[in-house]
Amino acid sequence: MSILRSLLLVPRNLVIALLRVYRAVISPLYGDVCRYYPSCSAFALGAVQEHGVAQGGWLAARRLARCHPWAEGGIDDVPLHEHSPYRRTRFGFVVIDRKA
Amino acid sequence: MDFFSLILWPIKWVIEAILVGWHTLFMALGMDAASGITWVLSITGLVLVVRAALIPVFVRQIKSQRRMMEIAPQLKKIQDKYKGKRDQFSREAMSRETMELYKRTGTNPLSSCLPLLLQMPIFLSLFYVLSDAYAGKRGVGLLNEQLSEQFGDASLFGLAPLGSSMVSSEGNVAVIVIAVILVILMTASQFITQLQIMSKNQSPEMKASPMYRQQRVLLYLLPLVFAFSGFAFPLGVMFYWFVSNIWTMVQQFIVIRNMPTPGSEAALAREARLAKKRQRRGLPTIVEDEPEPKAEEPKKTQRQQPVGKNRAKKKGK
Repeated sequence: MSILRSLLLVPRNLVIALLRVYRAVISPLYGDVCRYYPSCSAFALGAVQEHGVAQGGWLAARRLARCHPWAEGGIDDVPLHEHSPYRRTRFGFVVIDRKA
Repeated sequence: MDFFSLILWPIKWVIEAILVGWHTLFMALGMDAASGITWVLSITGLVLVVRAALIPVFVRQIKSQRRMMEIAPQLKKIQDKYKGKRDQFSREAMSRETMELYKRTGTNPLSSCLPLLLQMPIFLSLFYVLSDAYAGKRGVGLLNEQLSEQFGDASLFGLAPLGSSMVSSEGNVAVIVIAVILVILMTASQFITQLQIMSKNQSPEMKASPMYRQQRVLLYLLPLVFAFSGFAFPLGVMFYWFVSNIWTMVQQFIVIRNMPTPGSEAALAREARLAKKRQRRGLPTIVEDEPEPKAEEPKKTQRQQPVGKNRAKKKGK
């Protein structure tokens, strides 16, 4: 059962790895340009961690559409679940929380 | 037609229209239709049109930079609060508070990544238009067969065709020499612009962040990447990039000189310049923008010895 649940997390963790690479290699090229906090890529990472590829991706896409030079900007956090059965590793991967 | 070129199709069409428009104008001014200089100037014209279209974004950035000077004291307060704190949580809290201040006062100086991203498809489209022209294919719109052929074969200084790259040069020495020069110019202009922003227009707190160190490493790595990727770009594309970089450099120079980020090195330099100007005119030296909080006098740890009346008098003499 636990293996199956871990397998379900594979696509999510693949996308998280991609986003981490993007944030390490490409984000610094731009410097600080985002009008929101957290920045769009940080938001996308958080959204995928919290909501998975499909829903998190949708949230990230909507955020990207919101972020343009005429947007007001400001603080815009990822909506969080009240209880999550998952835990985040230091790298940012999502794993099943053994304690829960 | 694959999906990718379907997306780029409208951009290619617009780019061709702008290029042909400038080309017609230069021809009307009596320049030779097939000569390299006419097409090089057309590419410069393309840069002017693209960057001019982005001016509203730039103006907006300038306006909020100007208002940023007004909130400089509040910004400094936040910076002071987190002075010397380099752990992740303090840094996050600081960015959060700064962003909140920007929103509250409507002074967000950041322009989002859209202006940067917009340049990418334009650049790619020019790459395809030029490569196709060099391969003898006609464009998707106004660039007809004759113009396309002229564009691809138009040569820089009568030596190297605009559409050729180092890879496709087949040992043509002139192409290789010009390509190397353009790679150096392109890389240098990019490097200088980036360095200008990073070393002069960032506050000390920003410079202490891990993000900054990452940026610094990339600043020195990027020229290498450019140098290698530059070999595959046609000369015309590199020329476009170079002229565009020059525009960015001048734009950046104006902003950094006149509206620096409060607390940065450029801001200090600006204050010094203003003070000097006042001195030259014989005006009293008042800093009008930012009333710098006076540095506290170092506290004396040693108690001053009481002095007798007579000795005090002697000292006074």
